[in-house]
Amino acid sequence: MDATLQRDSTPPGPGRTMRPRAVLKLVATTTSPSSGERDVRLDDWMVAVATRQDREAFAALFAHFAPKLKGWLWKTGSTSEEAEEITQDAFVIVWRKAAQFDPARASVGSWLFTIARNLRIDRRRAIHDTWTALDDAEVQGIVDAGVGQEDALSQRQYDERVRLAMARLNHDQRQLVQLSFYEDMSHSRIAAELKMPLGTVKTRLRAAAACLRKLLEECRP
Amino acid sequence: MIRHHPDDSLLLAHAGGSLDTGPSLLVESHVETCPRCRAVMQGFERVGGQMLELAQDQPPAAGALDAVLARLDAPVRVPPPPVVRQKPPLPAGYNWPRALRHCQVSSWRLMGPGMRWSRVTVPHDPGANVLLLRIAAGKCLPQHTHTGTELTQVLCGSFDDGRAVFGPGDFDEADTEVLHQPVVQAQGECICLAAVDGRLVFESWIARLASNVVGL
Repeated sequence: MDATLQRDSTPPGPGRTMRPRAVLKLVATTTSPSSGERDVRLDDWMVAVATRQDREAFAALFAHFAPKLKGWLWKTGSTSEEAEEITQDAFVIVWRKAAQFDPARASVGSWLFTIARNLRIDRRRAIHDTWTALDDAEVQGIVDAGVGQEDALSQRQYDERVRLAMARLNHDQRQLVQLSFYEDMSHSRIAAELKMPLGTVKTRLRAAAACLRKLLEECRP
Repeated sequence: MIRHHPDDSLLLAHAGGSLDTGPSLLVESHVETCPRCRAVMQGFERVGGQMLELAQDQPPAAGALDAVLARLDAPVRVPPPPVVRQKPPLPAGYNWPRALRHCQVSSWRLMGPGMRWSRVTVPHDPGANVLLLRIAAGKCLPQHTHTGTELTQVLCGSFDDGRAVFGPGDFDEADTEVLHQPVVQAQGECICLAAVDGRLVFESWIARLASNVVGL
């Protein structure tokens, strides 16, 4: 008789509560990792890159994020060729600046997002030496150095809640928030895109951004 | 104590990377001194991270990982910092925003009694309309409205424009609806960084003449 069956025969108590959780976990891992677990894994890979220059972990990060990053860059205004180049450049910076990644302050995804965003801005500025991308990565290490490592877990919960916050925006608000991440998306272009008067776009953008900020404040750890 | 912050939509656009040069420089100058807005920006950047997670995959080119791995051991080429002329001094205790580190700042030019201005040239976008205003204690800017949006970040001193008092670190956004006449408080001169999209429209003839000379 194995341990699990034995536990099944015991009356309801602390022992019994373990089984449903174990089943839940099994179900979760056989489909796709839950977001929480996935994030832990991403952080672990990032730490391995930062502390041991672990190329396997780096390759794992690349496999996870490179298609997403390329897809996001393409969707928000880059050509396919540029998206490819920025993606590769971003991962070179991830390697070089890995020691500055702080899981207590950013998720791997949001860190990579800021690196890629800055690389694209630098390209537009015809600055080929990636000033902004490097500068910002440095600033990140300095500015909020006070946040302790012990906060990393609650930071991961924060990310999960950011997901929920976005889901709580209504359709129009979500659309306006997304457009704020598109390249060259001036208010007048958004107005043309959504066939709305410019004043209306400004008012709605303000309301959508304020709503998102409040939702994020509620979920900050 | 900072009391006036950029609107959330400006912070969101800055986090998203979709803001023009001038406004972006202004928001950056504010965020670097304002913990509140830095936290808001970090929240918005997390949203960016989530959007990355939700983006539809586009497979990288064949051999992309190998190409990246091959670059990892290449010596890091540190670009020489751009040559920037020394900026004019600020009153004791105040520093130029880090956001301006690559910008050229011209020397102070007189635009009226107790009013000086200086052009900020952004190396990658010389057309961006960014300037500094330096107004002596107790002086006021001529009453004006704007053909576009005017963003202002107070670097030192303070002014009252009839709507509110703006002090060091405060940020203001004035658009075509706002007709204001900023008055610098008596305690000392006020230096502001401003980004103007469109032209300032001064009410009086002399002021209009001055604005033509200045090119505002």
